[in-house]
Amino acid sequence: MDTLGYLGQGFGVALTPYNLITALSGTLIGTVVGLLPGLGPINGVALLIPIAFALGLPPESALILLAAVYLGCEYGGRISSILLNIPGEASTVMTALDGYPMARQGMAGVALSLSAWSSFIGAFIATCGMVMFAPLLAKWAIAFGPAEYFVLMVFAIVCLGGMAGDRPLKTFVAALIGLFLSSIGIDANSGVYRFTGDNIHLADGIQFVVLVLGLFSISEILLLLEKTHRGQEAVKATGRMMFNFKEASSVFWVNIRCGLMGFIMGVLPGAGATLASAVTYMSEKRIAGASGKFGQGDMRGLAAPETAIGATACGALVPMLTLGVPGSGTTAVMIGALSLYNITPGPLLFQQQPDIVWGLIASLFVANIMLVILNIPMIRIFTRILSVPNWALVPVIAIITGIGVYAVHATTFDLFLMVGIGIFGYILRKLDFPLSPILLGFILGGLMEQNLRRALSISNGGLEILWSSPITLGMWVVTAFMLVFPLIRIWRKRSRQRRALADV
Amino acid sequence: MVIQRIFAVVLLLVCIGLAMMAWPYQAPFSYEPVGPRAFPLLMLALMAISLLYMAIRPTPIVHSEEEPALDRPTLIKIGICTLLLLVFAGLFEPLGFVLSSILIGIPMARLYGGRWLPSVVIITFMSIALYVLFDKVMDVPLPLGLLDVLEN
Repeated sequence: MDTLGYLGQGFGVALTPYNLITALSGTLIGTVVGLLPGLGPINGVALLIPIAFALGLPPESALILLAAVYLGCEYGGRISSILLNIPGEASTVMTALDGYPMARQGMAGVALSLSAWSSFIGAFIATCGMVMFAPLLAKWAIAFGPAEYFVLMVFAIVCLGGMAGDRPLKTFVAALIGLFLSSIGIDANSGVYRFTGDNIHLADGIQFVVLVLGLFSISEILLLLEKTHRGQEAVKATGRMMFNFKEASSVFWVNIRCGLMGFIMGVLPGAGATLASAVTYMSEKRIAGASGKFGQGDMRGLAAPETAIGATACGALVPMLTLGVPGSGTTAVMIGALSLYNITPGPLLFQQQPDIVWGLIASLFVANIMLVILNIPMIRIFTRILSVPNWALVPVIAIITGIGVYAVHATTFDLFLMVGIGIFGYILRKLDFPLSPILLGFILGGLMEQNLRRALSISNGGLEILWSSPITLGMWVVTAFMLVFPLIRIWRKRSRQRRALADV
Repeated sequence: MVIQRIFAVVLLLVCIGLAMMAWPYQAPFSYEPVGPRAFPLLMLALMAISLLYMAIRPTPIVHSEEEPALDRPTLIKIGICTLLLLVFAGLFEPLGFVLSSILIGIPMARLYGGRWLPSVVIITFMSIALYVLFDKVMDVPLPLGLLDVLEN
């Protein structure tokens, strides 16, 4: 019952007028950012870090703002995929499959509100799961020593590769780039300057915001240059805006199933919304069987990925809050934000700063309700934003990105570094490398090195400490499985292709 | 495929260069068994192995439909855009925020297909509006540069 008491305390924090306004503006900003082409949750959250800091928001309000923006972005992404059939990011591809046909049949309003509702249920299930499991996990995590932490992070990195689908090697290389980049700068233990090339601006290491905005905003700006085709006409959202009771109840079990699945996949590091939305869509399609009209505007096909996305967004916060290990690109950015406030997420956060943790969890409930309410009256304004042309939008994004980078340290060196990282990110993207593993690696790198060195100090250099406790052993086994998993999948795919060839 | 091989080899060379840079890193006084160079070297080694594999057996890149192949005009555009961003970084402090963003914003808007008049109007307006919003309302200090005179 402790948990409920803490949750009540959290609502006390979240429902103060100041934090309510913060959450409201966060959801609004997030929705608009999510709508715009080229801006996703990662950019949205990263851009707001320096601003939240400059505004002097207290840490819990800043975290509430960032979480609200995160949810809002996920939310805004669906509007462009339903009305324009242009998924803003990979996770909403599945939403467009059935959402756009529904909009074409004159059910745009219903599709939007139903997807909002589904996402709300998903987020609600995940937040409930978080309330139940996060304190347990935090309690368990206190037993983690440096060796256990190190192995946990190895697991997170390998998981990322194992879950990445068809390009595990590229994901792995991207994560390694991030891990390496984190070691640039002065070494905290020995005072040695590493890879700075005697440049005083690098002594502090690469600033997180510079890395994020360079990798995501600048490379996206360059990528948008290629897309010459004019924006499609958005389907007009007319007629009935709200779904009715019958429609909601017809997808109720879909919501429950996909919410649970989304939560579990959100908690696992590396799986994330993209995989969850694809897996739930496929499994619902199989469950519906011949009765489904998936791909032609089936409501279940819309509800399944949306519920899963909503659930993973909240589920991803569990490893971040309890272990301090981010599970997705966006939560990696949030950890970067917390470190600006000198807060290290992890098991101790639950004991030392319950206001922050439970305030955040409560504000997730609040932000989700706000989004459902906002969605319906604001939809006309949001569709108008969709018609802003690129030529007006992109320069403004570039300028705002510049402001965000300059706000951190007020040096032009960071601006040049951002452009350099942006070009590198653009090349990586053209070569089909995923970018968010770089962020995860960058965040995990510092922690990983510290924990490895601490562990080896305890054992006086003996490597056996890394596999001596039952927890580490268990995690090595799971890690090994994760390493073998993609290989098996590739092997099976190849043998199937060979058989198909033999048949011809 | 060729580009990917070249990329892998170049990055591999960078890895080797960085590893050579990291080799002499040693703590003058050490209280712990692991020094400052172990972790970066481990990462570079793992990266080098992966890149070597990638150079020998590159994976095919799957292009989505809406992503056309790069042609010369697009490459030139990307070059110009990068140049503009570098100019922005260089002039940010000397010219000040408002002037430098107008200076690069207008050509950039043109690059993305805007017409002259709307581009000039919107970018000028947005530059000033963003300055007021961030510097005055949100307390993010931005340089005024040449416009410093107006302040007094």
